[in-house]
Amino acid sequence: MTSIAAERSLHEQFPRLVPGGGSVDVRELERLRARARRFAEVHVRPRALEIDRRTGEDPSWFDWELVRAGAEQGMLSFLIPKPAGGAGGLATQAAVVMEELCAACPGIALIFGAHALGISPLLLGGPSQWDGVLAELVASERSDKPLLMACAITEPDAGTDVEDPELLARARITSHARRVPGGFRLSGTKRFISNGSVARWITLLMATDPRRPAETWTCFLLDARSEGFAVSRVEHKMGQRACPAAELTFDEVFVPDERVVGREGDGAAATMIVLACSRPPVGAIATGIARGAYERVLGWLEEDRAARGLLGRQHVQLALASMEEEIHLARQLYMDAATELDHTALGGVLSHPSVRALGHVPASIRGRASVRRLLSSDRARDATVALLHRTTSERAVTRSLALSSMAKARGGDVAMRVTGAALELVGLRAGPVRAELEKLWRDAKLTQIYEGTNQLNRLEVYRGLCHRETIGCLPPLHPIHLDTDRRAPTNGDVRAHLDAADTPTHTHTSANGDGGRS
Amino acid sequence: MSTTTAAERFELRAMARELAHRELAPRAPGLDRGDPGVLDGCWSRIVEVGLDRALLSEQHGGVQLSVLDLLATIEELAVGDGGIAMCVLLCNAALATLPDEQLADVPEGARWALVPAAPGTELTISDGQIDGHLACALAAHGADGLVFLLDGPAPAAWAVGAGAPGCRLERDVAQLGLRAAPAASLELAGVHCAPAPGGSRAHSGGVGVASVPALLRAGTAAIAHGVARRAHEMALEYAHARQQGGVAIIEHDAVSDMLSAMAVRLACWPQVAADAPTSPDGTHPEGHTQRAHGRQALAVKIAATDAAVASTTDAVQVFGGTGYMVETGIEKLMRDAKYCQLFPEPNWVAHDELMRSERAGRAGAEDR
Repeated sequence: MTSIAAERSLHEQFPRLVPGGGSVDVRELERLRARARRFAEVHVRPRALEIDRRTGEDPSWFDWELVRAGAEQGMLSFLIPKPAGGAGGLATQAAVVMEELCAACPGIALIFGAHALGISPLLLGGPSQWDGVLAELVASERSDKPLLMACAITEPDAGTDVEDPELLARARITSHARRVPGGFRLSGTKRFISNGSVARWITLLMATDPRRPAETWTCFLLDARSEGFAVSRVEHKMGQRACPAAELTFDEVFVPDERVVGREGDGAAATMIVLACSRPPVGAIATGIARGAYERVLGWLEEDRAARGLLGRQHVQLALASMEEEIHLARQLYMDAATELDHTALGGVLSHPSVRALGHVPASIRGRASVRRLLSSDRARDATVALLHRTTSERAVTRSLALSSMAKARGGDVAMRVTGAALELVGLRAGPVRAELEKLWRDAKLTQIYEGTNQLNRLEVYRGLCHRETIGCLPPLHPIHLDTDRRAPTNGDVRAHLDAADTPTHTHTSANGDGGRS
Repeated sequence: MSTTTAAERFELRAMARELAHRELAPRAPGLDRGDPGVLDGCWSRIVEVGLDRALLSEQHGGVQLSVLDLLATIEELAVGDGGIAMCVLLCNAALATLPDEQLADVPEGARWALVPAAPGTELTISDGQIDGHLACALAAHGADGLVFLLDGPAPAAWAVGAGAPGCRLERDVAQLGLRAAPAASLELAGVHCAPAPGGSRAHSGGVGVASVPALLRAGTAAIAHGVARRAHEMALEYAHARQQGGVAIIEHDAVSDMLSAMAVRLACWPQVAADAPTSPDGTHPEGHTQRAHGRQALAVKIAATDAAVASTTDAVQVFGGTGYMVETGIEKLMRDAKYCQLFPEPNWVAHDELMRSERAGRAGAEDR
């Protein structure tokens, strides 16, 4: 039992996807979807309930065997640029994979989704990142010891705050990255970090000056074996349990300068871009959950003796039709958001001739110390930001973020409605299908919460589409000096840099205060 | 029947509220884990205050509450833990259907459970023997006795002692909500059973079998309302304490809108409860018939449980990521509310029954 998605090709459903098309080649996408579906059917669904049970008893339990099986299908590298050995995907590829895996088990899917989220800030780091950790991840995928990534943003006192630059300015940030010779010392706590307890590498965001978090929010790449880093707890979650959510503590953890991703102070803009990339896949996660529930209830109605006659009831037919309708709309929304991002907001950067040319340089040459120094120099970081400004605009990213938020929020609501309705159709008396539906219902709730609550996301829709604001979501063209000896930069300084930038965008309208965010 | 005064009723509710606050709420995590020791401890407290057989007369060790008072008490208990409240409802419903002689044999403190079932498809009864299988019979696991209620046009109840030969119970490990009412999957093969009395009234303080479905639905509605109250209390407290963007989150419209919607749903309860069947012992309020009575119970159950699911889901949303973590206890309320929506039947089935009853009432003479 599958929904309409399985019967139609991606090109039929989404005409914007064409063979050989830019950053998203529909033929490659079909192959990726087929691999994800096979992996889900063979490895994910058969283990889902058992893993949920085990992790319900012990939240730190983790199924590495499953990760190895996913690695064999390329589930750990579809987002990694081709020059680094990956499939070179972006939001569309991540979304398509997520729907397939989530129709089987959202918790297991989240392991791969959180890994992709951990990778995404590195994509913004440009070619300097290709031959380091990304190449290591690809190599590990082909070994029997695959490595996972995580992304750490949330803090105990700041959840939603850290996902919005305006709220970030007033957030209660308690973590701190202190500049020391040769790098930074990280202190503080990050919370609810998916894959946090199993990741080998963690991209994380911290303020270099907690009094000015929005201006000094900076992305770091952390080796989980670093001294002073610890997993202080693994949370007991309502659902999506296969993927551990951990609390991470940092006690003066040293991170060298070369592991600063992008430039110091560019973290708030990077976060917005990362969220624009990650929210369509969350919409896809939610769509996959809804599809999984729909397919299970349809299968039960068609095959289970206990359900005999129910399919003849109009109530049941109407409920099923409504599920199919909602799933279809949710899929259109996330695919629209993902292709918008890949085609107009970020795709241009990765397919830019200069980036492609660097991709043709053999890794052995890129790996030379002198070339690596050059690629990770301040000049190269500035050039990466300049390329972003040349290939996209703040308005394009803002619009993309709004569409992504719409897909995420609507998808989360659809997942809750469809799983709830499916559970109601089968009731308490159904056999094994009830356990699967109950799990999917628990799993679904998280999609209304993570990557920003649905409320926050809808306010992004208002800002980006209804109010047509342009959010400052690209790093400033010229770096802002953040030396602690100097006067603290003000919002005015930041805006002055933005306004002075010779880019296609250019109006930064700060969000007004109508309607809070939560 | 009870002649509880307003003062006594007030005192009773206060006692149940205190019990929920002091004894049940702190143990809710243990109850949710299905820890039998915690359940036994909580049940002992229920027995001490006589709520296990609240509907029965003093002669049978009960306190002879009216149904309305029982519902009010169950609602208060559900603020502490919905599963325990469900145990109290199902135990009272089961014991109230038993004949005097069988009641006399039920030891003090025993926990019985009433198990509603679809006749023919789930259970069949012939020559005093019961056969069939049932999934997710709430409160059945660990119960001392079961009363099977075969719902339908002419409901019938059959009692079975725990451990009766041919009766196999297995803990339903997939149970999502109301876990303090531990559910069991039942396999019954030729189990000897005793008929519980039909008719309007079994004994003093008893409940006519025909009225038990209405009692179950009204009781489930009361539990759902208690769960929703708890969710609102917790969400409100958190919204005042938690800060985002430099202010308490209750200052954000996105949060206050949800809290307001919860408050509105709760405020509608007295109106909903006013329509609850208050005397399902065969006597009905003036102008009411058995069928009308059943319809009211169905409507009340649908309204209260849908409201509870909406409110508890919003409450988790107010808590954000914290609410998704088991230790906060708010996600448990969402699961409990969902089970109320599915018991004794899913709400879509309840809607269906409501309309079938409406059509039959109009077409037939039963309501006249």
